[in-house]
Amino acid sequence: MIQLFHVTKRWSDDPPVLDDVTLRVEKGEFVWLTGPSGAGKTTLLRLLFCADEPTSGQVIVGGRNVNRLSAGGVPFLRRNIGVVFQDFKLLPNRTALENVGFALEVMGASDAKIRERAHKRLAQVGLADKVGSLPLRMSGGEQQRVAIARALVNEPAILLADEPTGNLDASLTDSILQLLFDANARGATVVVATHDRALLGRYQRRTIQLHHGKVTSDA
Amino acid sequence: MTHVAWRLVRRALLNLWRAPVPSLLAVVTITLALFLGGALAFTVLGARALLVSWGAQPAVTAYLDRALSEEQARGVADRVRSAEPGAEVVFVSPAQALDRLRVQLGDLGGTLDGLSRNPLPATVEVSPRGAGDLRALAARVSQVAGVADVDYGREWVDRLEALGNALRGFGTGSLALVGLAALLVVANTIRLAVYARRDEIEIMKLVGATDRYVRAPFLLEGALQGLCGAALAAAGLLAVQRLLLPRAAAAFAFASGAQAPHLSAQHCALLAAAGALVGLCGSYLAVARFLRT
Repeated sequence: MIQLFHVTKRWSDDPPVLDDVTLRVEKGEFVWLTGPSGAGKTTLLRLLFCADEPTSGQVIVGGRNVNRLSAGGVPFLRRNIGVVFQDFKLLPNRTALENVGFALEVMGASDAKIRERAHKRLAQVGLADKVGSLPLRMSGGEQQRVAIARALVNEPAILLADEPTGNLDASLTDSILQLLFDANARGATVVVATHDRALLGRYQRRTIQLHHGKVTSDA
Repeated sequence: MTHVAWRLVRRALLNLWRAPVPSLLAVVTITLALFLGGALAFTVLGARALLVSWGAQPAVTAYLDRALSEEQARGVADRVRSAEPGAEVVFVSPAQALDRLRVQLGDLGGTLDGLSRNPLPATVEVSPRGAGDLRALAARVSQVAGVADVDYGREWVDRLEALGNALRGFGTGSLALVGLAALLVVANTIRLAVYARRDEIEIMKLVGATDRYVRAPFLLEGALQGLCGAALAAAGLLAVQRLLLPRAAAAFAFASGAQAPHLSAQHCALLAAAGALVGLCGSYLAVARFLRT
């Protein structure tokens, strides 16, 4: 489902953020991407959803080589990838329902279908009573769950999450991670970047460790 | 696809409603640009009409001896007509000349009623049908018995033509300059509005929106702002035309014998099209920058 061949990413003359990374994630896998801050986790995720281009090497997502993807092809690749951002990236002037429905809106879904599916996803993440709330009136955990609902609303084949539990307490962390495990159980390939080693111990899954942009372990 | 189109229109209207200040700024900018452009265009059009009307006056005017009776004067005109078969010859009696002046004076024509006698002489207007040497024509006409004086303001006509050409160049150049300046100002004003919504654009792109989908509401907003600006500019031009120009228009009619240019429905449609185009182009330029990043 995801393949990287000798991928290097560097900004001008700085040391590479990713250095000759080669890895493969199979369809339906759940993978932790870990390492200290600055290890290159976020950069690797950004390459997967075409927010950045690799300096060298090949990135293949869902069978498509993103290096060869035209600018017009990027949106269609992204529609198969749900992304949960560290800073949520919710629109402050739109309700939870509108934020979740946003991902369906750009795909041209009808208003009725958007409402139905956004409602369903918000109910799944435990926010059925918050559909009309604006993000700024919601807690960090609620905002994170809205972001996850948005990432899952069009049932993507791949789900990428960048530090999804970064600012949450333990009980919220568990409930958020359960949502990601549920998505994985429904067949989505899930890659979660985290620097929280306690999580890796508690939920043992394949773990790819990055350090200074290199893969130091994959087990 | 109609629901997508309707959604984009709804989004554009909602965005205008949610961020009225940047939208208002863009509308005001477009209004000012179109008003200045329109005023400049009308000034140039008016000046051109004036020059054309002056330039269209008879090429050679022969003033006849005042001592001649009207019958004798008509005889002089006949002699000129037979001597110049290649020219159009028109006899204007003193009474006809006075009537013409009365029409040209418009409301002021009544002042002529106070004259004890008609001071205007009979004239013969000689216009060559093709291109001809006016100086030679004037010389020949002046030799005809009964002609007291000849006027053929060739230098004046040449100057008018040169002035007309210069005015056309100036008008075209100025309009292009005003248009370009308006486009840049509008693009920058709209860019401010777009900048305020850069997060929305980023998120739209991250969840898989195509550039066309991202751009569409902004283009609609730009076009709507342009149309509003055009409507306000047209209203401003109409107000100026109705409130401030009547006297100038009377002077214009007196000077040229023609009506001053007026804002017509076609002009309004042209303004609306220009406004929508400026808004569209401004939005396109403003959004393009954010789509690239």
